[in-house]
Amino acid sequence: MYDTIQDMNPPTELTAIPVLPSPSIARPHVLQPVSGPLLPMLIELREDALIVGRATETDIQIPSSTLSRQHMRLERRHDGYRAVDLGSVNGIHLNGIRVHSAVLRDGDILQLGDAVFMYHEGR
Amino acid sequence: MPLFVRFWGVRGSIPTPGRTTQRFGGNTSCIEVRADDTLLILDGGTGMRELGIDLLARGDAPIVAHLLFSHMHWDHIQGFPFFLPAYQPKNRCVIYGAQQDDTRFHHLLSGQMRSAYFPVSFTELRANIISASMEAGEVEIEGVKVRCLEQPHPGVSYAYSLEKDGKKIVYATDSELDMLLPDSAQPDANPNDIRGLPQTFIDFVQDADLLVADGQYTDDEYPRHRGWGHPRATTVVDLAVLAKVKMLAVHHHDPMQTDADVDAKVEACRARAQSFGSDLFVFGAREGIELRI
Repeated sequence: MYDTIQDMNPPTELTAIPVLPSPSIARPHVLQPVSGPLLPMLIELREDALIVGRATETDIQIPSSTLSRQHMRLERRHDGYRAVDLGSVNGIHLNGIRVHSAVLRDGDILQLGDAVFMYHEGR
Repeated sequence: MPLFVRFWGVRGSIPTPGRTTQRFGGNTSCIEVRADDTLLILDGGTGMRELGIDLLARGDAPIVAHLLFSHMHWDHIQGFPFFLPAYQPKNRCVIYGAQQDDTRFHHLLSGQMRSAYFPVSFTELRANIISASMEAGEVEIEGVKVRCLEQPHPGVSYAYSLEKDGKKIVYATDSELDMLLPDSAQPDANPNDIRGLPQTFIDFVQDADLLVADGQYTDDEYPRHRGWGHPRATTVVDLAVLAKVKMLAVHHHDPMQTDADVDAKVEACRARAQSFGSDLFVFGAREGIELRI
């Protein structure tokens, strides 16, 4: 038998727990070359807009004759990046589909000439 | 000049947000077609909301949107009340009926904004919203030749063919092609045989550069949904092969299908096209991609 309500419901004991990592720590979106000239780099995407191409003045230069000088623009959106073809000769292919533009999703395969990337969403 | 086609919503029946549908997308049907400065919008499903936001972000110029609806079922109209350009007086929306003097679409579209359904009245839309109609199933919109075709779907739906400068796009959603097969037992009895389809439908999509077509169900799913208004995806492949279409976007994915399920459905469609020796390119319609035709 219990004498009091307190006996029935003993007070909660506070114990120390490990500090959990903050969910607000940002991890950038990444282009991972899977074949082509930029292997084995990892390209972290941090800018609002990036130009990818063969020319030296691009943000991401890919030294390959299969790319146009300014081949693709990457634009940051609220939910990641959008790739836009800048009128390149060989185009951009998303998972094998030639697209003019595309919002990238985790695990997408993006091909520009002989450069092939996997896109990893950050958070 | 090329035509640009951008997918804003590709899901059938009801929006399906969530991790398992993230890649193909969960918004319902809405497709943007641009020909020079001409903007055509095919269906106003929930994808239309983001299209409206994007149009406003492109600049301050007045927007003239030509709206073509396959039909008025919820998943094809629910985005319209959230289409922000319709709230600005400088913009214009032209809503096309599929027949002469046909204002049904205009009235049904405004009807979904009655107070019992939606807090903002249609009369509060400040854009110039007008009705137009096709004559004998055809209309020319700023140089784009538009034709429509009635399709088998509960309550009827319409396919649209858009042609300009030798390019042709066909949008044919919510069409249960399997109901048109002369022998409904053929797909089960002889699954590897190409399915015969009415010449009217073949002619309508003949030689299209891009066919965006309802391919809601897999072969396994279809028998449980016969009569619901959507076909086997593989039957759409047969139509595309017979009509010598160049690219087929399998559209209107079933809300129960995950991204992996859609991948498998599209793979089955590719295998079927190859089995006929066709060079048809098949892909799954996906939110956020834009094609240059």
